Amino acid sequence: MSQLSRRAVGRIPAAAAIVAAALVWVILLGPLAVLLTQVSPHSIRQSLDQPGALAPLWTSLEASSVALGCMVVLGTPLAFLLARGRLRAARVVEAGIVLPLLMPPLVIGLLLIFLIGQAGPVGRVVSGVDPNVFGVNTFFALVVAEFYESAPFYIITAAAALTTVDARLEQDAQLLGDRPLSAFRKVTLPLAAPGLATGLAIAWARAMGAFGAVLIVAYNPTGLPLQIDESFIANGLNAALPFALLLIVAALPLPLIALLWSTRALGRRRSEVAVGAGS
Amino acid sequence: MTPPTMLEADFAVARRSFDVAAQLSLAPGERLSLFGPSGAGKTTCLEAIAGTAPLRTGQVHLDGLLVNTAKAKRPRRGALVEQPAELRHRGVAVIRQPTTLFPHLSVRKNVTYGLGARAHSRGGALEELLERVGLGDLAWAMPDALSGGQRQRACLARAIARPFRALLLDEPFSAVDATSRAMLRTIAVEAIRREEAVAVLVTHDLGEAQAFGHRIGIMENGRILQLGGTEQLVRQPATLRVAELCGNRSFVPHHSGRLWALHPDRFMVGAWPDKGLVLSGRILSVRPYGPRFACEMQPFSHQVERSGGDGHQGGELCLGSGIDPGQVVVNLHVDSPPRVGDLWEVTSLSPPLVSRVSLAGDEEG
Repeated sequence: MSQLSRRAVGRIPAAAAIVAAALVWVILLGPLAVLLTQVSPHSIRQSLDQPGALAPLWTSLEASSVALGCMVVLGTPLAFLLARGRLRAARVVEAGIVLPLLMPPLVIGLLLIFLIGQAGPVGRVVSGVDPNVFGVNTFFALVVAEFYESAPFYIITAAAALTTVDARLEQDAQLLGDRPLSAFRKVTLPLAAPGLATGLAIAWARAMGAFGAVLIVAYNPTGLPLQIDESFIANGLNAALPFALLLIVAALPLPLIALLWSTRALGRRRSEVAVGAGS
Repeated sequence: MTPPTMLEADFAVARRSFDVAAQLSLAPGERLSLFGPSGAGKTTCLEAIAGTAPLRTGQVHLDGLLVNTAKAKRPRRGALVEQPAELRHRGVAVIRQPTTLFPHLSVRKNVTYGLGARAHSRGGALEELLERVGLGDLAWAMPDALSGGQRQRACLARAIARPFRALLLDEPFSAVDATSRAMLRTIAVEAIRREEAVAVLVTHDLGEAQAFGHRIGIMENGRILQLGGTEQLVRQPATLRVAELCGNRSFVPHHSGRLWALHPDRFMVGAWPDKGLVLSGRILSVRPYGPRFACEMQPFSHQVERSGGDGHQGGELCLGSGIDPGQVVVNLHVDSPPRVGDLWEVTSLSPPLVSRVSLAGDEEG
């Protein structure tokens, strides 16, 4: 075999890899491309100009924001404890966190009725406070359903990000005079930030798109995913697509910003390395 | 009157294969070196003293403050268990191995991390400190951009930039070149003296241990085998194992029942850095030995000149009492044979050169 042809043969795997990568990319982005070609500006205007058409968007944005806030406040400490192995029976706790991920959302919705509906003992207590605020089919129920569908993504990703931060750095910060909380804020958080942001971004996308559990416990107030479902059933594909586009536009920016920021944060540290090495 | 103690430690830390146990008592300003092979438990000792490793038994007090204590398995109900002080109140400064600079902060911000509001008022002193440890130009560099040695310099600066009661150093200068090492050591020692603090240095370099400590503890398998003055450990090792750990390679029995311990570097004499340490003596005999030649050489003196540089230690041939240095014979294996009666200088650049040292008149074998 000549030198040339051998080199050509050697390139086949590389070429195959490139083709495969391009194929995956096209397959993944295909639906989005289709959506953009199928929705005309006219149909968008027609759908969204109706009075109250944007209400589901606001509902979804508000509920997702609240769910995300709860997630950060409640989930970050849990993720930290998981990451540092401070929990007794950490595996059991972890399994408990993953469980909502593994259960079909529809089933979660059914079970949530016991938690916030009047059917179960917990629900009776919760909705006993004020059934119009804490019962089924309330904003509260929507937040809870979105929380169940998205929080595990954040906690697992956050725990993974926090694990990468050397615990000795936290100790050092405290030995240098920091309270545990400020050591966390000044050392752990900045170092884990790209990973935490990725976790938040994934959770945001999940919360915005939450459908299964929401369908059962929070049909009202109507969020964007339910609006899509309703439009599709009532008026067909063309009526649903503008809302689908709306959902993507609303759900994507945060993940994209987070992704770009975290890669930039890493890139910046790297470029500083280069500058430092040059001087 | 016994001198006041600053660090009082008596503890055992459970490890997988063995417990690391130590009993230490250091006076203000005192420096201790822990020396031993890898995996001896030296770093664990430091962590126990810093209070970052959980103790199985015992307690550590620093300047009257409880910094570490064994957790009671089943604390009696209502019994008040004294809790160790919070990390930030301990006054413990650490230099770890591998180094633990905050990767998201520049060298300067790392060094000022513990200063808080004081960072600004100490601006000038800070510049001077960075300059002294050799990081004047790298103040704004990120840790990832630094070499291992530069990181160790930054860690030293960070550790001594704020007041401390104990300085714990884990292989602090292992990646620094020999000349700078002496300088950094001086900086550390000055800071310890200034703060009247205690210091514990962990190293597997005996020279480093000797240069730093007032006392040396030699560790193996989690135990301190011998704790004594820097010279005492080398000259009067309590056991054969301690002598071995100190780097003595061959042991020559003496009729007094004692052993000569011979160190491949240590008994080489001289201070010519280009040649290494040099031993000079007169050749007594030469005979072929395989492709090479075996000779016997009688060194002129067993006295060792202190070399000016810090890289090598002086000292002397470590002899048991009652041995006449004139009786020492060094066996060499060389490529080209000298003549009997020649004066020779043997350098330690190739330690295996010296295969064995025996007493004149001893049976060979």
